[in-house]
Amino acid sequence: MELFDSSSANPGDFASVLRRRGILREQEHSEGPLSFTGANHLPVQETQATTILAFKFADGVLVAGDRRATAGNVVMYDRADKVIEIDRHSVMAIAGSPATAWEMARVLEHSFQFYRRSQLQEMSVEGKVRALSKLLRDNLGMVLQGVGVVVPLFATYDLSAPDPAKVFFYDAMGAQFEATDFAASGSGGPAVRSVLYYENTWGKAPLRDLDREGAITVALKALDTAAEADTATGGIDRQGKIFPLIKIVSRQGITSIAHDQLSSLFRAVISPS
Amino acid sequence: MIDEPYRWVEAIANRREYIESELATGSPTVGLSCVEGVLLLTFGKDRKKIFEIYDQIALGGIGHPGDIERLRMTAIELASTEGFSRSANDVSLRRMATYNFSPALKQAFEQIYGAPYLARLLFAEVGPTPAEDLFVTLDYDGSMTASSMTSGKGKDHFGVISGTRRSTGQIALFLRSIPVGSVESAVTAAVKAWGIGLYSLDEEHTETPAPEALQSFIKDQLQEYTLETALLERTPKTRIAFSDLDPDLLNRVLSEYS
Repeated sequence: MELFDSSSANPGDFASVLRRRGILREQEHSEGPLSFTGANHLPVQETQATTILAFKFADGVLVAGDRRATAGNVVMYDRADKVIEIDRHSVMAIAGSPATAWEMARVLEHSFQFYRRSQLQEMSVEGKVRALSKLLRDNLGMVLQGVGVVVPLFATYDLSAPDPAKVFFYDAMGAQFEATDFAASGSGGPAVRSVLYYENTWGKAPLRDLDREGAITVALKALDTAAEADTATGGIDRQGKIFPLIKIVSRQGITSIAHDQLSSLFRAVISPS
Repeated sequence: MIDEPYRWVEAIANRREYIESELATGSPTVGLSCVEGVLLLTFGKDRKKIFEIYDQIALGGIGHPGDIERLRMTAIELASTEGFSRSANDVSLRRMATYNFSPALKQAFEQIYGAPYLARLLFAEVGPTPAEDLFVTLDYDGSMTASSMTSGKGKDHFGVISGTRRSTGQIALFLRSIPVGSVESAVTAAVKAWGIGLYSLDEEHTETPAPEALQSFIKDQLQEYTLETALLERTPKTRIAFSDLDPDLLNRVLSEYS
């Protein structure tokens, strides 16, 4: 009976299970010449999400993202979650098309859990990093047609590694790079990178030496700076009391920083007035 | 041969007898509700017997390792694809057992030219309260029991599989006297229940052992059996309820038999 046909050429690979069951399809690449300016000819404006950052600090990795999603010059949503928990020690932050990115995050989350449950062991960090790279590469056909571009960050805590805090960033074709100290992506990425570079090099202390409060403060400053010049970045909405989403990945797992904590820290340290 | 009804019935009876004899020595697996969640407990000799299936579902099995593995993988695939296609909240043990496992196991058992599954399964699903915990047993022929404190024949807060029906019955008789308590009291009770079940697998042991005899029996068995447990946490930190039990807690309980 088909129900019991659980054979797989690639044991533990959830994506192949989804394909076998017709739930996930391979991306169809266009025949003939591609339009590299396809985005200009789309019937609808694609929703985009920016800006995200991740850096290592004393407790592990801090991952943050602003809350704004835009379509052209329209603010579609100002409470978007761009920092997504994938498993007990891994977080994916998304910049680009939320439609594709959230689907990638769902595939990734289920893939890691499926692997652990079926193979009775955790997937290695290298395997997890590669899994996201493969999803990005599978999306290449859409990227070349100008839609569904995703440029994510991936942060994890490798309990078995001498340097357990890990941050990876990608390009839209799936190339993976391991960050030494920090990474940023999205339209506000250049401004964020500048702030993080400044703090890491000439700030009070290198990012790796910051305590939790110091790290959160730097993340809020960086996203607020990015929002100053980039309309696609939400930053900190002082009227609406909307703060970036910040998660800490550490030995103990993943901790979401509560809105009230962000609010009090922001008022006490960054904007006392 | 199967064109003749009598031959078919005889073939099925032979098959049943064969499978029952193969399963007869299976070490019991106990699922028991407690305040902290659902405890799954067994003792094994050489292989893992309790598995995580999905966020709130776990499996214990006795039988042929190859068949348990195929059924385990099928359960994980079914739950994972349902959770991915719809939502984790749509993954339901009752639906999975009723509409997928039971009919397929029955079909495999009754197709006498094909190999049946040499397996007996215990699924457990943790709920928001002990009253909403669900235990499902599935046999090699597709027969199924689903029990919780609010449904099923016994309105039980436990589920059991063992090598024989008599052993299963003896364990159930014991566990019905155990109230829902802490996880430590659940482990204590489940170890005793396992001992009663293993003791009852011997056809010469027709009575439930006295407490002293049971303690001595379990102590002897622990020379060759190793404890295996899992807890489906009622209020986990993440969506995933399957977790290991505190080794200190297990050592405290087992110290009674050292």
